[in-house]
Amino acid sequence: MNKTKAIISLLFSLGLFFVLNTKIGSVPPVGKFLDPFAGFWKNAENREIRGGALKLAGLRDEVQIVFDEHQVAHIFATNDHDLYFAQGYITARDRLWQLDFQTRFAAGRLSEVVGEKALELDKYQRRLGMSYGAENMVKELERHPRIKAMATAYAAGINAYISALRPEDYPIEFKILDYSPEKWTILNTGLLLKLMSATLAGGSDEFYMSNVLNRFGAEAVNDLFPDYPFRNEPIIPAGTDWNFKPLQTVPLSIVPDDKTRIHTRQKEEGTGSNNWAISGSKTASGFPLLANDPHLDLTLPAIWHQIQLNAPGINAYGVSIPGAPGIVIGFNQKVAWGVTNVGADVLDWYQIKFRSKEHKAYLHDRQWKPVKLRLEKIRIRGGKTVVDTVFYTHHGPVVYLTRPNFAKANNIPEGYALRWVAHDPSVDIATFYYLNRASNYTDYRKALSYYIAPAQNFVFASNENDISITPNGYFPLKSPGHGKFLLDGTTSSTDWKDRIPFEHNPTAKNPSGGFLSSANQNPTDSSYPYYLNWEFAGYERGNRINTRLAAMKTATADSLRTLQNDNYSVLAKNVVPTMLNLVNKEKLNATEREAFNIIEKWNYHFDATEIGASIFEIWQKEAYNKVWDEFSDPKLPMRLPNRDRTVQLLLKEPESVWFDNISTSKKENRNDIIHDAFRFSVDSLQRKFGLIGKNWQWGMVKHSHVPHLAKIAGFGSRMIFNGGSKTSINALNESNGPSWRMIVALGKIPSGYGVFPGGQSGNPGSFYYDDMINTWERGQLNELLFLNSPTDRDKRIRARLTLKNKH
Amino acid sequence: MLVILIFFIAFILQLFLPWWIIGIVAFAVSAWQAKSGKQAFAGGFTAIFLLWLTLSLWKSLPNEHILANRVGQMLMLPDWPFTWIFVVFITALIGGLTAGFAALSGYFVSLAFIKPERKK
Repeated sequence: MNKTKAIISLLFSLGLFFVLNTKIGSVPPVGKFLDPFAGFWKNAENREIRGGALKLAGLRDEVQIVFDEHQVAHIFATNDHDLYFAQGYITARDRLWQLDFQTRFAAGRLSEVVGEKALELDKYQRRLGMSYGAENMVKELERHPRIKAMATAYAAGINAYISALRPEDYPIEFKILDYSPEKWTILNTGLLLKLMSATLAGGSDEFYMSNVLNRFGAEAVNDLFPDYPFRNEPIIPAGTDWNFKPLQTVPLSIVPDDKTRIHTRQKEEGTGSNNWAISGSKTASGFPLLANDPHLDLTLPAIWHQIQLNAPGINAYGVSIPGAPGIVIGFNQKVAWGVTNVGADVLDWYQIKFRSKEHKAYLHDRQWKPVKLRLEKIRIRGGKTVVDTVFYTHHGPVVYLTRPNFAKANNIPEGYALRWVAHDPSVDIATFYYLNRASNYTDYRKALSYYIAPAQNFVFASNENDISITPNGYFPLKSPGHGKFLLDGTTSSTDWKDRIPFEHNPTAKNPSGGFLSSANQNPTDSSYPYYLNWEFAGYERGNRINTRLAAMKTATADSLRTLQNDNYSVLAKNVVPTMLNLVNKEKLNATEREAFNIIEKWNYHFDATEIGASIFEIWQKEAYNKVWDEFSDPKLPMRLPNRDRTVQLLLKEPESVWFDNISTSKKENRNDIIHDAFRFSVDSLQRKFGLIGKNWQWGMVKHSHVPHLAKIAGFGSRMIFNGGSKTSINALNESNGPSWRMIVALGKIPSGYGVFPGGQSGNPGSFYYDDMINTWERGQLNELLFLNSPTDRDKRIRARLTLKNKH
Repeated sequence: MLVILIFFIAFILQLFLPWWIIGIVAFAVSAWQAKSGKQAFAGGFTAIFLLWLTLSLWKSLPNEHILANRVGQMLMLPDWPFTWIFVVFITALIGGLTAGFAALSGYFVSLAFIKPERKK
């Protein structure tokens, strides 16, 4: 009896401990996780920033690191190796889980951590050739020893941090997902850069466009999807001389076809950005000012990591991408630079004709060329390994022979090879290596020549009073419309053969207007002799920036700060008066009439407290979808004409047949569509937010917040009550918006101001995880601490850390 | 005595051994010291409940409960400023229960195999 009792209770206890030590489904190992000695409590940090002295193997000399009140590290090293080693070390200390998770995501290795549910995502990432591209970058580094040394030292620094960790020291997400960090390699750096390309230059509409062409014919396509916008405000000021002799391109005829299933998706506009530079002639100080705010899908841990890098030949401050050495956006003693996305067409699809079902050869210029196989071995948590075979042509991978039921894959045509600039050999980080050390315009131009992808509008200013902007990257040499649709892969006539020479990339320097800006819009007017893409972001943000910059006379950093926070919508100004006229006031009920009066008085600012903004946003979206209902076909996925074309239709083509709603027998016209959409917007706001009042305010309706990178509940930000819209300079949507706002006032000594929606630490249990969000929400900036030496004194300095070589 | 022994031995061993050491400690101490099943469970439970309560508070107070409140939301608890209290309580409870059961089995095993003559 006693024995039975003993055995049963012992087995029960053992079972209990086993269960609480094991991850079950997505529930972390409960006992291990709650253990206050080594579980998540260990990640609850106090306010103090860790300084002191540390001995690390792999350093050549001593490194001094100063931490300011936001835990930003200011690194002082005596050589490049130690500088990037220390950057890697500090980045890992602040952001280890983010480094690990993002590279696993990029490489298609999430199944190793979360199990089978990530399998389709992993296959997708691998089939796009993310690792293939990263491997090509690593190979290319062999030709650039200095840049390779930078990446290697950075990796060594990350690994120095990892190797000293005990499991209890792991970031909390490792404990929740129950896995361990692994050693960093330069391939991981490549993967992160490829991830940037996937985000910023990985979109593709060709499949949808070809479907539009099949459905509506060439005439409708030319009308609704023109190669040049109705309204334009080019980045390179109109009238800028192109002082080169352009290369020739051969026009192509287009279009194989593909018929398929799935739903239409509206092209998501959101990843946009602003930057500008003003020459000293328009500033109070007589020196240039530069501003940049890149818009991305916001996450915590913050996308960017602030850092100051100081060593012989470099003293730069700015933000880096965790996982890549150097500073991407920032300034040094003499110059400042920033980037926005270009959005050129650097991704194309080629229809492949295989010889047989074995897929061993494909037809190209009447020859059967061999297909290369790449075996992707996906390890799944729990032991199983799935092998996925990907066929590679000279273009790149045939991403799907049969598309899976997976949302991200919806825009990928079946049996097509992907030609994508992100696969090409590149040393993009060389650009940042040299920009960080630049002292004038010539250095800026040299640095830019290394850059391939994702193409960016590099704005620049120097204290020698030069300003410049260059839409820059590898632009394939294309005839107009090349790659607007799916391409025939059986002939070399559609192949990418060459690039636009770097010297021919559009660029402007010291224009007569005294300023330069970009907001992802068309880089040039129609005088530019090359084709970059048929469509760019709308002109609205760029137009507003230029209007306000043109009016500035003695600008200061603060005038630029207010400009970055400008919520005015040029779109609203352009269309609201017309739209109001089309509403039949007689047919409105009391609430609708009240809403009408509100929007009539609205000043077109998407401020957080504006109710008119909420009504307009839903109104225009509904009208847009109603107008283009013809493009919604569950059997044939298409995309809709863009905003620019829609505005043109609304303002200039009142009789257009497109206004008709095809699902009704009645023939709708422009008035019906706008009137009905208005009533819809009021109705939907009322259903969601009750009677017109505080809850209708734009800040409440928009509901901005910053989610956690892995969407772990509680690890994101609270709701942010803020203005902004996609067509405002302050382009803050629900959780997409300014990921870093920076303003630099150049001079003998530069003053930098900046803030991002997050903090330096990636630990949700740190005071420095989101300590900058409030400042960011209020539209204010922190004055950036730019030190000259590690012994500088400043009241914002909180800790000092010395790294010494461990012999 | 049982409580004090488990508390201190577990505290010292937890500084460098994994969390499940609390089970072994509760088991062994109870096998050696416990006088009844009830006493064993209560001893193991109380010792580790208090140990984990103290330690989690010691971590959470200087953190101003930032992390505990976030973890509370992760555990689907409501977003209140004092959610951390529940998280501390859950932690102590889980530690207490596991140690309690380990102590109980320690007592039973001792009764059946080690010191069968000790009591009826």
